[in-house]
Amino acid sequence: MRNLFSVTIICLSFLILGIFWSLSNNLQQVAARLGENLVVTLFLNKDLPEKDALEIRDKAGRSPVIESLRMVTADEAKERFQASFPELRDVLANLKANPFPASIEAVLRPDRAGPDAVAAFLQSMTATAGVEDVQYNRDWIERVRSLGRLTRAIGLFLGGILVLASFFIISNVIKLNVLSRKNEIEILRLVGGTNTFIRIPFLIEGTILGILGGLVSLVFLAVLIQAFPLYLGSSLGALQELLSFRALSISQGLALVAGGAVIGWLGSLTSVSKFLKA
Amino acid sequence: MLVSDNLIELFHIGHQYQRPHWALSDVSLRVKKGDFVFLTGPSGSGKTTLLKIIFREIIPSEGQIVIEGVNILRIPDHGIYKLRRMMGIVFQDFRLLFHRPVFENVALPLQVLGVPPKEIRRRVFNALRMVNLQHKLGDPPAHLSYGEQQRVAIARAVVNAPKILLADEPTGNLDTELAFEIISLFREINKQGTTVLIGTHDKELIRHFGSKILFLQAGKLLGKDALPSPES
Ligand SMILES: Nc1ncnc2c1ncn2[C@@H]1O[C@H](COP(=O)(O)OP(=O)(O)OP(=O)(O)O)[C@@H](O)[C@H]1O
Ligand SMILES: [Mg+2]
Repeated sequence: MRNLFSVTIICLSFLILGIFWSLSNNLQQVAARLGENLVVTLFLNKDLPEKDALEIRDKAGRSPVIESLRMVTADEAKERFQASFPELRDVLANLKANPFPASIEAVLRPDRAGPDAVAAFLQSMTATAGVEDVQYNRDWIERVRSLGRLTRAIGLFLGGILVLASFFIISNVIKLNVLSRKNEIEILRLVGGTNTFIRIPFLIEGTILGILGGLVSLVFLAVLIQAFPLYLGSSLGALQELLSFRALSISQGLALVAGGAVIGWLGSLTSVSKFLKA
Repeated sequence: MLVSDNLIELFHIGHQYQRPHWALSDVSLRVKKGDFVFLTGPSGSGKTTLLKIIFREIIPSEGQIVIEGVNILRIPDHGIYKLRRMMGIVFQDFRLLFHRPVFENVALPLQVLGVPPKEIRRRVFNALRMVNLQHKLGDPPAHLSYGEQQRVAIARAVVNAPKILLADEPTGNLDTELAFEIISLFREINKQGTTVLIGTHDKELIRHFGSKILFLQAGKLLGKDALPSPES
């Protein structure tokens, strides 16, 4: 009964640790994917003559940070929008004019796109006549990254507190077990048992409890990862990608179980030692 | 270095469980290798306390105690097993695992040494035969009479052929005949080289077997090395 209790506690704390870990895994992955293509979008003034648009493109192309450039006409932009949001097709059809501006998509060279160079490029493009607006997705990447960092920090904080709590709980559970076998420990010492000899069964017990807790939390985590998207359906839309859980890697899972083992071992070590005096 | 045949030496041992009362005061004594000693005195005179100090269950309030040239008060907690492995101890309150079979109880001192199971079986059977309990080896002490429990405790104390045998009232629950048998057994073990120290207030036994006698009275050792006979 007591043992079940401590396994549950370890399991819960590791589950929470694991949830945050998995979320932050996902955010990091999203940020990494976004980071692969640094794109600057130059939205052009409405009805800008094509000649001027090409001139802007050529000007952009002279910047050393540019890898490639692509013109997106207003019609193309409309089609793209229709493709990604088919529900809104009717709304769009009712509009007389095409509300989408033409744009130039500039892909930056990751090796040269240092902050200063990019800033200079953005500034010069913003100042260019015919450019309505400049959008740069690195802001997004930064936001996703810092969200990932925040998630991990919260996870570490909460998880840390819970792991500490489970350490004390294990240590107390083992202490109760030790207490109920106090007589036996005393006798073993009186007949010449070494402290190590006496400790080993308790250490094994604590370690097994910890490992069990870690394993069970991994199982729950896996179930959660499977069930979460089903539960939310697609209602999250674009956010789903950010919030979906990514399974822990094998080494992260092993770390969780190993963490359980260490907590169990330390917990029982501290509780038995009190009874190995005199 | 001084070569001595003193096995156990106590220097000015005093012990206080609670503040004003001294359970032992200024006890000095020597036990030589191969001795067979009775420690006697009225109830409450400090026999059990003295024995507990010798196997270091109690740290005395005062004095020093040297066993085989080692000051046992300086042994750290994690090193006491070396002292205990030289000793077989019969506790006044037995200290048996009440719900484990007799066999397991008697096997404990061998198990902590890592003796192979076959050898353990042989020696445990032997020890149980010596105390006439070979037929009870599967029973837990909880199902045995006091006298039988006492004999289990004795078997456990001798199973390891210890250097020193400490026995606190080892015949307290035995009839005279069995008591004589047990002390004869201790004599046997003594002849094979074990130093024996028996705490008892059984005058009959002392009269019959007594060679060296230490007499405690209200925590004081009477007559120092000159040992008075119990009648005096
Ligand atoms: N744990 C304890 N706490 C307080 N006082 C104690 C404790 N154990 C023993 N005493 C006291 O110490 C004194 C000596 O006790 P001890 O048990 O050594 O006597 P004993 O000679 O073995 O007696 P008995 O023949 O009845 O076994 C007694 O006055 C007793 O009340
Ligand atoms: Mg006593």
